[in-house]
Amino acid sequence: MNKTKRNYMDATHTWGRIFMVTAICVLVAVPVAICIKFDAWPTFNQVFKGLLKVIPIFWTSAVLEIIVYAPMLGTGATYLSFVTGNITNLKLPCVLNSRELAKTKPGTEADEVISTIATATSSIVTTVILAVGVLALTPVLPALTGEDSALKPAFDQVLPALFGALGAGYLAKHWRISFVPVIAAVIVLMFDGSLGTGTLIPICVVVSILAAYLMYISGFLTGGVKPENPLKGMKKKK
Amino acid sequence: MQDFKESGFMYGLAAMVIVFVLAQSLFFLIRAWKHGKEVGLTTSDMKKAVTSSALFTIAPAIAIFATVVTLASTLGIVLPWIRLTVVGNLQYEVTAAQAALESFQDGSSIAVFGQNITDPKIFAAVSWVMTIGVIFSLLLIPIFLKKIQSKVGQVTNNSSGDNKFGDIISAATFIGLISAFIGNAIAGKASTIKQEGKLTPVGMGAGVMSVTVLITSVIVVVVLQALCKKFKWEKFEPFVMPIGMFAGMGMAVLMHYVLPESISTFEWRPIA
Repeated sequence: MNKTKRNYMDATHTWGRIFMVTAICVLVAVPVAICIKFDAWPTFNQVFKGLLKVIPIFWTSAVLEIIVYAPMLGTGATYLSFVTGNITNLKLPCVLNSRELAKTKPGTEADEVISTIATATSSIVTTVILAVGVLALTPVLPALTGEDSALKPAFDQVLPALFGALGAGYLAKHWRISFVPVIAAVIVLMFDGSLGTGTLIPICVVVSILAAYLMYISGFLTGGVKPENPLKGMKKKK
Repeated sequence: MQDFKESGFMYGLAAMVIVFVLAQSLFFLIRAWKHGKEVGLTTSDMKKAVTSSALFTIAPAIAIFATVVTLASTLGIVLPWIRLTVVGNLQYEVTAAQAALESFQDGSSIAVFGQNITDPKIFAAVSWVMTIGVIFSLLLIPIFLKKIQSKVGQVTNNSSGDNKFGDIISAATFIGLISAFIGNAIAGKASTIKQEGKLTPVGMGAGVMSVTVLITSVIVVVVLQALCKKFKWEKFEPFVMPIGMFAGMGMAVLMHYVLPESISTFEWRPIA
């Protein structure tokens, strides 16, 4: 790793941490301000009883999300996306699409820069759309997304349309390692169709990585030539 | 009397959160842009990332806005707006609101999601549960991200030659993510939220519509990418995937109007 890269990445971590801590303060300031302004103080028990129901699910999925998404996003994009949310349906698709367009190599600094630009743009656009929506469009929203709106079917299908478009290029390019996770996803959903994407994504990512690893060491991805097992190499280096 | 949930004070809180999010995003954007030039990225590469990300974001952002409105009937428009601007998503917020409301179920107040909250104390409790519920990742990332990134770097950089293994693993993780959503469009049920005590579907599950939309987007992108390659339309490239997405959404509208409802809304496994 050269010096510029280390400096840029280290500074990204420092700034990211400063913004994360500020984000926590901003987030907590909201309920605190509500309590003070409306002189409304729920008891500790009332809040705690509510928290008991959500913390086991939310906090476990927070750990999973960091492990699964942070490596995909890169450093700057992780600090940004975990603050603004909507990672799987917005930030990751934008990152992936932008990397494909810029043809950057994974793990490089250029890749890191492009991911950060994509995530920041997506965050800004989302924030602006939400603000404009709330301030100007709330009265006409039913015309856009209401039950009897002409555009309702389109918004119901945002995710299949988004991932169809994203998957078309990407899965075709990497078809050898794509069919196993897609089939795995369908099989899992056959058993439990209501399984949330929060659980399904980690399953598919693990299956996908395992399948790709096995295909790699078997020579399926390298024209029949069996490469050295990269995990063995790592142990030796240690 | 003005609803306290939509008072000027609440809008002020929203403004504070929005200014923070925009400031953070702009800071990282400008920093990355400057560094991009130092590492050899062209302005055109970076502009492409901005254009295509902005276009790619519009439709899902409008869908997120629709979820703000779903929550507004119970919580007013401002708190859901704040929550979905920072970290939030619909399932989280509804679950958290519902959990907080249930803790008030002592017979003294209305405590079911879907009904308007009029007691500031319940509203405050909901905002606390929503906030603390989602705050964990923000606590973990500053502590662990650097370690996670260096571990990942160790695995993916540990192959000889041109780092083919790292490239494959990186591609495989994205493919895992895409597969989950494609699998959902092929075989998933609609997601649900608990509203007024019963499970209500949000959007649609897999069926005729989702599969046709998926296939439409795939075909449009494949055709446009082939055209871009053949005629060297480099400037058009950032628009290919967003157009594919809009084409899929357009197909959904077309099906809704052209096909009988029994076919267009047919789901393999509807929520009973």
